[in-house]
Amino acid sequence: MNGPMNAPLVKLGRAGSFALLLFLPAPILVIAATSFAATGYLRFPPGELSLRWYLEAATDPRWLSAFATSLAIASIVAVLATAIAFAGAYACHRLKPRWLPAFELVVMSPLFFPHAALGVALVNVLALTGHLGTVGGIVAAHVVVTLPFAWRPIAVAMARIDGEIVEAASLLGADERRLALGIALPLARSGLVTALLFTFIISFDEVTVTMFLTGPETTTLPVQIYAFIQENASPVLAAISTATVVVTLAVVMLLERLIGLEFFVAHDPA
Amino acid sequence: MRTSATPRSLGWLLLPALLVLALFLGSVVLLFLNAFWTKDGFSLVYFRQIVERTDYHEVLLRTVSISVVVALAAAVLAYPIAWLLWRLPRWRNLLLVIVLVPWLVSLVVRTYGWLVILGPKGFLNEALAWIGAIQSPLPLIFNDLGVVIGLTHVLMPFAVIATLSVLLQIDTRLEEASESLGASGFDTWRRVVLPLSLPGVFTGIGITFLTSMGAIVTPILLGGLRQKMAGTQIYQEVVYNFNMSKASAWALCLLLLSGLGLVVLRALEGALVPKADR
Repeated sequence: MNGPMNAPLVKLGRAGSFALLLFLPAPILVIAATSFAATGYLRFPPGELSLRWYLEAATDPRWLSAFATSLAIASIVAVLATAIAFAGAYACHRLKPRWLPAFELVVMSPLFFPHAALGVALVNVLALTGHLGTVGGIVAAHVVVTLPFAWRPIAVAMARIDGEIVEAASLLGADERRLALGIALPLARSGLVTALLFTFIISFDEVTVTMFLTGPETTTLPVQIYAFIQENASPVLAAISTATVVVTLAVVMLLERLIGLEFFVAHDPA
Repeated sequence: MRTSATPRSLGWLLLPALLVLALFLGSVVLLFLNAFWTKDGFSLVYFRQIVERTDYHEVLLRTVSISVVVALAAAVLAYPIAWLLWRLPRWRNLLLVIVLVPWLVSLVVRTYGWLVILGPKGFLNEALAWIGAIQSPLPLIFNDLGVVIGLTHVLMPFAVIATLSVLLQIDTRLEEASESLGASGFDTWRRVVLPLSLPGVFTGIGITFLTSMGAIVTPILLGGLRQKMAGTQIYQEVVYNFNMSKASAWALCLLLLSGLGLVVLRALEGALVPKADR
């Protein structure tokens, strides 16, 4: 399609764009490389390889407990946010209330809050109820943060359900329970899986809001990484960081396999 | 489709979502209450501080200017990436993984990566010293430059996704028409694709500006505690000084400035983006 004059220009543009693309994972790759360096920092030229930092991390109870806490919180948050969003989006889908656009705007509103402000706001309320520094408090805060990310894929999937199927099932005598769990739930499963995995990973990696809410007893992996960077930048951090990258990568690949990634760049048809 | 007898009891299914929203809205109400009610009752003392103290002006000015620079830099650097993904549909899924994984990896990990790269004994300085390009390490972190590099990188994936989702909506026939009428590839991009993709670019600028305004981790780790941004100040007030009233007042200022920024951005978008008829 392009004229002959343009071919080198287009190639140059592509090469430049590709270089920019590779800039995105660059710091992560540097950390992964550092985590295998025996010396503990990235030398140029590189030195001996070793797994000592991984061993050190795996035998330190502080890292194990933070890792377990993060996994537990992310799992609970993913299930809660997805269930809450499914129930709400299903009710909205069936009832089609006139105030739906306004309601969805409120659901999405935490997205328009700068995280530092959201953190303070949630500290205010959790301090009042005595949930600062507890798993319950962090879970509640993460559900607030992740609900918009669960709502959107589910609402989009719900909008694609053929209303006549629900009507037919209803006429054939399916009760409300059956309609919601037997018809809508399986038909919206792409949205549900996206919501589950997406909210899991956001909760697992969240740090800016969470760092207001952790306490001496309870801390999450990213917040502990932050605290350790401030204290002493030990090479163990590179191993831990790489572990979180592996978890994130695994979840993204799982989503890619199960549903695909189009959701992230698709325009909202709802 | 609304079935004939939709039971009102379905409304109960909204209850859990309403509880979550109540928690959020309740926390916002408390933010206002705490900002105006200090230990000594109703008071504007922390707002007066923000208005009067020049060191605080500096913090707010730094927050806004860094966020503007970061949002623009992220938009410009993200555009070619979005364009590449748009032009290579067959590779899009794989390339999308390269965009999404850095976006979803914890920002504390990505910021740590920049610390390892840009630090005085970091990868970049070591490499430059090894090839003999520098005698002493370049000061790349603990200054505004480090914060801008870190935040721009952290926020770029947002801008890529916002831009790409709009590019994907462009009718490919428009491009073909432009080229069959004799426009070169570059002209087609400049006159057809770029104007149509601007709404995505603006969405990206809005998200990255907002996120940068509320950033804490990257400014603290790459800027240090002296090159404060509003997020740094807020975090210190909560965690080290236990002054919730002051932190809440700062959070409200941050909200106000972010909102103003978005209003300005909307006005700019209205002026720059041609009104499409769809």
